[in-house]
Amino acid sequence: MARNGDTVPNVKIAKLNLEEIGEKYRGTLYTLMVVILLMVIWYIIANRLQNTLLLPYFHETVKEFITAWVDYEIMSNLALTLKRVFTGFIYALIIGIPVGLLMGYSATAMQAISPILNSVRQVPIMAWVPLSIIWFGLGDGPTVFLITMSAVFPLVINTIAGVQGIDPNYYNAARSMGASWSDIIRTIVVPGALPSILTGCRLAMGAGWMSVICAEFIATSAGFGFLMVEAQVRLETAQLYALMFMSGLVGFFIDKGFITLEKRLTAWRFKDGFIGS
Amino acid sequence: MALLEVKGITKVFAQKKNSAHIVLENMSFSVERGQYVSLLGPSGCGKTTLLTLMGGFIAPDAGEIILADQKVEDPGPDRGFVFQNYALFPWMTVKDNILYALRVKKVSSAEQNERLQELLDISQLHGSENKYPVQLSGGMQQRVAMVRALASRPEILLLDEPLGAVDFQMRELLQEELAALVEGAKTTVVMVTHDVGESVYLSDRVIVMSAHKGRIIQDVHIDLDRPRNRQSAGFKAYVSDLTELVRQAFREKTVAAEPPPDSNENKNQFSFVDAYNRMFSQYTNNVTNGRIAK
Repeated sequence: MARNGDTVPNVKIAKLNLEEIGEKYRGTLYTLMVVILLMVIWYIIANRLQNTLLLPYFHETVKEFITAWVDYEIMSNLALTLKRVFTGFIYALIIGIPVGLLMGYSATAMQAISPILNSVRQVPIMAWVPLSIIWFGLGDGPTVFLITMSAVFPLVINTIAGVQGIDPNYYNAARSMGASWSDIIRTIVVPGALPSILTGCRLAMGAGWMSVICAEFIATSAGFGFLMVEAQVRLETAQLYALMFMSGLVGFFIDKGFITLEKRLTAWRFKDGFIGS
Repeated sequence: MALLEVKGITKVFAQKKNSAHIVLENMSFSVERGQYVSLLGPSGCGKTTLLTLMGGFIAPDAGEIILADQKVEDPGPDRGFVFQNYALFPWMTVKDNILYALRVKKVSSAEQNERLQELLDISQLHGSENKYPVQLSGGMQQRVAMVRALASRPEILLLDEPLGAVDFQMRELLQEELAALVEGAKTTVVMVTHDVGESVYLSDRVIVMSAHKGRIIQDVHIDLDRPRNRQSAGFKAYVSDLTELVRQAFREKTVAAEPPPDSNENKNQFSFVDAYNRMFSQYTNNVTNGRIAK
């Protein structure tokens, strides 16, 4: 990474250090400034508007937001939703990675499956809701199904890309050293595709998290999405806002977690070994 | 009996429009045990194809390659192959890369360790065994690739432009390293190169190939003492002779070259922009003020 200090000859060492620290936290600082600016705008508009149904007061939303994190009911609904997301995600992993590996590795499998996959994945995820209710009834079944459906495609596509991106000479090298077919899968295909698979996991998790909330609007009477509908029905807009911020924040930190995992598992890509995020 | 025999090899690559490109035609030569042989020629002369055939990665259209009385049909650990870009597995440490051939053969870990120490000795890579390829310099990567290919004690080492990606100043230094490494390993080598100086510096024999069907123009034995001195008169004489031969090899290509088949294809080339405009124009051109003109 090019640091500010690289271009400056060593004139003032103390100043250089300061600049380096500034560089490190500059991004966070800018984000913070934008967030504060948005809060101020919200505060002003809400006070002008005087319509808590459309835009609740800023301080009320903050209060809802803070109490939500210690509210037993909200947290257990959040836990339920997270459980659904992880269950669906695991199903997507079990289906998506082998299919992706197969399609990436074998041209025949690719020709056979890709038209089907590409047409099924065009069906909007919400269009699966009625069918999933018919199949699984109400409750966990349809939500997990919808998460799996939305998570499996990014996983398959990224796994395919990962396998296809492997240098053909890696296969040749492995074969010339006497590797069998299963050795090649284990030592070349899987680790070679891993960076891309992990990117797929990130996208899959994001898609799963988005679709679970939608699914819970309709197909269930518990979970985080259901709480949002409840808040809307009870005209508690402040709580609705708070819940939306929570869902954004939770999704953000899940994504962060995946980025860290990705860097840990694929440390071999970076010159200085592991890079903390 | 020679260690490696290339007998009447022909390789044809299919091209578009049913035409075919003869890369190698009826090529034969043999390599004795312990020899260092370079295949030298202009790019496109089929030298890499020949090496790939020896590696068993592709099959010839006619002829056969015999290594130690066995016909080459598949890639195998009896031939150590070093790729142009080294093809080190980036997700494995130096140690895991070097021991790959032994691990897939399920050699005992005591034996693995012993071999690892030997290979680290000849490549002077002690202390780097737990690094990843990305953390190594170009020269170190080359040494890892060499000893990885040597790990299974192959009959022959096949090098595909092992220094092709290295800049000029670094190249001579790495040639010295390579010479020392091969000498230490006491192995037979076939190397593909387009660098005349490199071939003279490293080899016992240089086979000059023509760009036209890979014909062998000359098979030159280099009778110089090792380590070789690049400044000596003998060395320079070999370099200038071989340079002249390569020039001749290149001329054969220009004489034999057919007119490029795609020369008038550009005129009929499909243009997406044109097609896009045409696709809409039949509908859009008639529309005036939102109504379709009759």
